[in-house]
Parts: sequence; C-alpha cells; structure tokens
Amino acid sequence: MTDPSTAIPAASPYANWGQRVGAYLIDVAPIIVLDLIFGRISILLSLFISLLGLGWTVYNRWFQAGTTGQSLGKKVLNLRLVSEETGQPIGPLMAFVRDICHFVDSIICFVGYLFPLWDAKRQTIADKIVRTVVIPA
Amino acid sequence: MYSVPERITMFGLGAGLVGSVYPTIMAHTGGQGIPCPLRALTGVPCPFCGLTTATVALTHGEWGLAAGTSPLAYLAAALVAGTAPILLARVAGMARPPRPWSDAARKRTQRTAYAVVAISWVFQLHRYGFL
Repeated sequence: MTDPSTAIPAASPYANWGQRVGAYLIDVAPIIVLDLIFGRISILLSLFISLLGLGWTVYNRWFQAGTTGQSLGKKVLNLRLVSEETGQPIGPLMAFVRDICHFVDSIICFVGYLFPLWDAKRQTIADKIVRTVVIPA
Repeated sequence: MYSVPERITMFGLGAGLVGSVYPTIMAHTGGQGIPCPLRALTGVPCPFCGLTTATVALTHGEWGLAAGTSPLAYLAAALVAGTAPILLARVAGMARPPRPWSDAARKRTQRTAYAVVAISWVFQLHRYGFL
C-alpha cells in the first residue's frame, strides 16, 4: 500500500494554470477579434463592439458558467467552475461576483492570476474569496 | 505531474521568452506595456512593480537596470536556472515524479515567500520615494 504522506495522485483533481489561461483566452477571443477587425473603423462601431463584449460576458462568463459551470472556453477545454463546498455550479450572481473579485487578482500587478501555479487547490485569489474551484469536467 | 518550482519555472521560461521580444512587440504595436493597477489607482507601487521592466532588462543583459528595478526578477531567474535541469529531466522521463513536501517545509517556504514579498514592497516603496 502506498504511503499517503508521499503518494502523488495520478492526476490533479484541479485544472492547471495553462488550461485556465487557455479557457479565458477562448472566452475573450471573439471580442478581441471583432475589435481588431472593426474597432478602429469608427468610435461608434468601437462602442457597439464594447456593448457586444459586455453582452457576451454576461451570457458566457456569468449566465452560462454560473448555471452549467462551463463558459465557452471551459467547454472547449473540458473544464468546470464549481463551488468548493458543494461541487455544483455557483449560479450567475456568484459567477458575476467572482469576476468582480478578480479585481483583487489584478491590483497586485496581476500576480493573483498566477496563484494557480503554486496553490494546492489551484485557485486564484478571487476563487478563494468566493470559494470556487476549476476542475476537469 | 510537476512540482510547484517546476510550474513556476515553466512560467518563468515563458516570461523570459516574451521578455526577450517584448521591446520589439511594443515598438511595432506602439503599446505602452501594462501598468500596475494599484499604482495607476493610488500612486502606491505594489511588491511586484517593475517585474516586466526587470525581466526585459535581464533578457537583454542589462544587469544593473534589472537589479535597480526589481531584484525579484533575479530571484525568479535563479529559481528558473536551478530548476530547469530538473524540469528537463522530468519532461524527458529521466526523473521520477516529485514527492510532496512535508507540512513543515511548506510552512517554511510560505513564510520565506511572505518575507521576500515584504522586502520587495519596501524596495518598491523606496524606489518610488515613499520611504
């Protein structure tokens, strides 16, 4: 029998930093692409794309990720955002609060986003505040 | 599976790679870099301020500029240099999976990390004339 003090699980139960970054990039990619193509044509179009970006965030990162645990990026990379305590999706309101809490990750030169590199549960500071984890689906 | 130092080293290697081409990217895009949100909002630097400049300086051999901007970059570079061979051995399948540290070792490392961050903050506060 393996000694539990030295045993290494075959696979971590949490998504790694690279997967999380990948999921985020996929989430924001549609808006970045639109902005790069149309954003410099006129201020009005740029404003419209910003509104579109907000709508996409509300739907994708807050509604979808909150109700199913999977934004587009997390779905593509087979990840789920769930409550640390219940293992269930956290709901749109908490998904919104979590994104607001990312402010804390940003305020220290964005180092909060690097926390999953060394944290035992691979959480950002925002994850710790709202008690969420990102796990393989 | 990789250990925490190895994961940080992977990130450090990526950061070094980006740092080596960062001035070229900025020159071509007219970008100004990413400002520290805390300093932009309050004027007060955070412990990690200057890391981008120091990383770029290190990758271009400007040792003095790197040390004067953020000595943390030297610490990160030392970690990368020390851990990269182990990481390579692991990737090549020549090293066994890492063993978890003891609780005592974790706590020691955590306390050391807090101390390093605190010292770095004092350094940055001094650099920006707050101390």
